Amino acid sequence: MKNSIPLLQSLRCRLIVSVVIIEIVMLSILVLNNISIIQATHTDRLRDTANSMIHQIANTSGNYMVAVDYATLEDYLKNVIHYKELLYLAIFDRDDNQVISLGPFPEKIRPQTDISPAQTDDGIFDITEEIKVAGQPMGKVSIGFSLDIMQDAINKSRIRGISIAAIEIILTILVTVVIGISLTRRLGLLSNAAAEVEAGNYSVTVPTEICDEVGKTAIAFNRMVGEVSKRTQQLQRAKSRSTKLLRENRQLIHYSLQIQEAERKHMARELHDELGQCLTAIQADAELIRDLSNHDKRIETSANAIMDVSSRVYDVVHTMIHRLRPGVLDNLGLVEALKDEIKAWQSRNPDTLCEFTTRGDFSQLSEHSNIMLYRIVQECMTNISKYSQAKAVTISLQNTSEKILLEVKDNGHGFDIKERSEGLGLIGMRERVESLNGNLKISSEPGKGVCIFISIPLS
Amino acid sequence: MRLLILPGCLLLSLFASTGFANTNNPCSQASPITFGILPFVSAEQLVIRFTPLVNYLSQQLNTQIRIETAPSFIEFSRRTSKDKRYDLLFTAPHFYPLARKSGYRLIASVDSPGMRAVFVVPKQSPIQNINDLKGKRLATVNTKSLATLLIKKHLNQHNINPDNDLKIIATPTHNASLLSTYHGITDASALMQPPYAAASQQVRNRMRIIAKTQRAPHIPISVADRISTACAAQISKLLINMSSSFEGRQVLKHNRFSGFKLSSADIYEKFSAQFYHPHNH
Repeated sequence: MKNSIPLLQSLRCRLIVSVVIIEIVMLSILVLNNISIIQATHTDRLRDTANSMIHQIANTSGNYMVAVDYATLEDYLKNVIHYKELLYLAIFDRDDNQVISLGPFPEKIRPQTDISPAQTDDGIFDITEEIKVAGQPMGKVSIGFSLDIMQDAINKSRIRGISIAAIEIILTILVTVVIGISLTRRLGLLSNAAAEVEAGNYSVTVPTEICDEVGKTAIAFNRMVGEVSKRTQQLQRAKSRSTKLLRENRQLIHYSLQIQEAERKHMARELHDELGQCLTAIQADAELIRDLSNHDKRIETSANAIMDVSSRVYDVVHTMIHRLRPGVLDNLGLVEALKDEIKAWQSRNPDTLCEFTTRGDFSQLSEHSNIMLYRIVQECMTNISKYSQAKAVTISLQNTSEKILLEVKDNGHGFDIKERSEGLGLIGMRERVESLNGNLKISSEPGKGVCIFISIPLS
Repeated sequence: MRLLILPGCLLLSLFASTGFANTNNPCSQASPITFGILPFVSAEQLVIRFTPLVNYLSQQLNTQIRIETAPSFIEFSRRTSKDKRYDLLFTAPHFYPLARKSGYRLIASVDSPGMRAVFVVPKQSPIQNINDLKGKRLATVNTKSLATLLIKKHLNQHNINPDNDLKIIATPTHNASLLSTYHGITDASALMQPPYAAASQQVRNRMRIIAKTQRAPHIPISVADRISTACAAQISKLLINMSSSFEGRQVLKHNRFSGFKLSSADIYEKFSAQFYHPHNH
């Protein structure tokens, strides 16, 4: 499995770009610094050379100036003018007359002495020094140095520096790319292997030939994957066992619910068939006894008492039968049974308005579905009357031809779902819903009532 | 009001006196006075030696004076006689007659009995007298220099032919001549006594004088004919009166001169005649 990482987020890209940027910045600083040093060095060299030369000329020229021996002085200076950077050399006597001029002396006004070759106004470094003999002024010497050679040297140095920097940058980029790719390739293998592991493929291994940090990480990764694989297998085995147990448990619950309902139905029938017949017989016998008592007050009273007791027992039994298995459910269907149940609940909770609405046909529902839905609504109503203190309850039952949707909503106290664990009633409801392969959702907040939504697929 | 008038009057009088001095300065001229000095020592030594004298004269004359020399005796002589380059001239006694012919007027000379040349050898040298110089190397200044003329005459007087009996080696200056012997390049040196006296003590301590030539009149100071008589007179007066002022004496001391005096051109003509014949000129 390939993980596609955006270019800018790629470690490889970031590594290479970072190194290249650092390299470029550092080399730029280095080159600029070198250029500055080279410029300063050349400038200093030219200034020192010029100062040294003019000083030497001034010192040497003194005797010639006193002796007014310009010819000899000029012969001597002709050797000096051969210095490649020296553009012109001029000697002035004490009256400022130019007595010797070698090289193209500027036609303009006498050039100003420049402080530094870096601060010339015309590309010529002009300096002038007084010629003195024993402290007495004997004239002046002016020399001008062309900056072209210096500038050429600086430019060559600059180009050389920039070229070296460029080559270094290119080499750095190449080396960084190669190292980056070789490093990140193995990291990429690790990443891909991790993705494989994430996808559940524990058979993946990464190469560990090179025993560097990445190699050690790869070894650790392989060991970890092995361990995770072992643990996962153990977990899966445990999970499958748990799932099996859960499924069996659920089947058991469903079976027990079915048995419970069957038992209830049986008990209801038994109560109805056996105890009901007996009570009817007792009542009939008590009536017969009363009729045969000849108005014997004691017999009549006893007979009436038997009739009353039997009548009460019958009511109790009837109620028990209803609770065990509402007959209306089997006879008239789910909707009528629910209406009957709600009516009974309403009579017990007259302060709470309960509204029941249905949509769709429920006549085709299985007996199991009917009794489960009935029990669910019954449990909801019990909970509402017990805990919610709701003023209004709405019960909605729909058949969408694909699923049965049941919603029971109240406006009672409600509760915080996160804080309160489900009680036995809710667990029972959930089990019943799951026995129908349905879903149960509970939403509630404190003060905002409770809404229970159940969805049961018809297929 | 009086407080203002008094400084005003002082300023006016100062201005007037300055203007008066300027207008009555006989040596005032547009360009500086050129003081030509014979190159008997190096140019630097000349400047060192004569700067106080020049400064003194400049200050006294209220005119700028510049020292100038020439690369050689011959060139100096040429510039003097042909170019009349120098306004004020300090030349050798035997050169003065030539300068005189070009119009230079003698205004003073160094107040001294005269100059003479000396023969010096290293103290350890086996040369004891003038006769021992035969076959040796004798350093002199310039063939045209006074020292050379004096020593040649002296050698001739001692029956030594300077052209054949010994080898005369010309050096640029008196000091160079002395140092050549000091360093062993030459066996002996002949130079004027004043430059020898001015040489370093260290050198003189290791040298020995074996002979002295006859005296020559001391250095003449002359002015070019373009210098006015009044200016020449003023310079002459200043030179002659130098020893009467403290500043002047300091300058004279620096130059190792006792003073200046009036002199006659004839002395130099006679002296020069000993060495130069009409056809030599």
